[in-house]
Amino acid sequence: MVSADLAGSAPSRPTRNRPPRAASREVRRPRPDAPRLLLDRTFERTGLHALRSAVAAHAEAVADQQTADVVVLIAHELSSNCVRHGGGAGRLRLWVAGGNLHCEISDHGPGITNPGDAGRQLPTPAHAGGRGLWIARHMSDLHISTGDSGTTVTAVVSLT
Amino acid sequence: MAATMPVDRLRPGDHACLTFSDPHERLDILAAFVAAGRERGDKVMCFTDAISVDELRADLLERGLDSGPDVHVARVDRLWGGAAAPEAATMVEVLAQEVRKALGEGRSGLRITADMCWAARPQANAEQLLVFESEIGRLFADGQLTAVCEYDRESFDPVTLGYAARVHRRTVAATVYYEDPVLRICRQHVPPGVRVAGELDQARAGVLTDALAEAVRLDPDIHLNLNQLRYLDTGAAAVILRTAATLPAQRRMVVVCAEPIERTLTTAGAADVPALRMLVRHGER
Repeated sequence: MVSADLAGSAPSRPTRNRPPRAASREVRRPRPDAPRLLLDRTFERTGLHALRSAVAAHAEAVADQQTADVVVLIAHELSSNCVRHGGGAGRLRLWVAGGNLHCEISDHGPGITNPGDAGRQLPTPAHAGGRGLWIARHMSDLHISTGDSGTTVTAVVSLT
Repeated sequence: MAATMPVDRLRPGDHACLTFSDPHERLDILAAFVAAGRERGDKVMCFTDAISVDELRADLLERGLDSGPDVHVARVDRLWGGAAAPEAATMVEVLAQEVRKALGEGRSGLRITADMCWAARPQANAEQLLVFESEIGRLFADGQLTAVCEYDRESFDPVTLGYAARVHRRTVAATVYYEDPVLRICRQHVPPGVRVAGELDQARAGVLTDALAEAVRLDPDIHLNLNQLRYLDTGAAAVILRTAATLPAQRRMVVVCAEPIERTLTTAGAADVPALRMLVRHGER
């Protein structure tokens, strides 16, 4: 994947608050600030309602109602983009790290052509689409990494 | 079983059974029935049980209908005239008197709504209900009495509901544009428009487009009731904004909703649509 992380950090380096690895052979004592994975699941077109319910249940356990509403909205918008433009399916991961809630949506679609411009401007009321990324940028710290083998978008929302 | 019709197709002399799925739907249909009676010059009496007299008065007032000399709200036990338990013959007699009184006051007739949930209580009133519903039939013959009996689908068994549907010549229900396990879109009568409950996203935005298109055709201002909507995505929000933005000049869309829905509409660009008004209900989820 040609990585172009638009948040300014170097694309090839792992991000600081990356999700935890699923299993490890040696037993480690969890550090208090260690990333905590809440949800990891794939989805497709017909599963967005169930995806929203799952994200809401996990987000409400760690965040206040308004923050949880925001995360559900962003998760839905990004996964809705995936099923429409990103090959029809995707994967969602939700984790807590460094006092933030991270929501990552990835797909194996054709990528976004102008990731730097996407969702920067609100379409006029007469225009049907194009509000998903706008609303995600508006309500979170959004990182887009895209190339011709797929797109990963991570939304970071503060828990404090 | 009588064919189901929307409340605005009822005629004087009709004896209808109203089945409903949620309280808002019931109140909307009730309000439409009361408004039509008032317009016609009927005396209107609403017999309530599930909610108090004051609550029903407030609910009607919220829909622009103040109870005055022509609209009475009373507890349902008024129907059995002070007796301890509902008795069908008394109820029919009380209503016959009320019809005579209304005509004596110069009204064109009497229309009543009655919450029938008393008949579902444990003291086995179902038998009196069946006698009442068939005995009252004779009062409708000359068109001076019009009645809507309200049956909550939740509190009656299918056999009683089936019987109720048979003894009423009409069945009134909401006009449903769309319904599935997560979303219900109906016509709202008072104020006229569309009511959406559940969760609405881009995948179902097409059915909202159709429902709003009918409201644009029928109603001067469009009232979109999203009070019972728990989730709205930007794809569906765009349908709302576009409909409001393309309304002819002087016409408006009024959206009532809870705060999270209002945030989505606002972020999706509601401020750029002058014809759109939003009324936010606080603290309800």
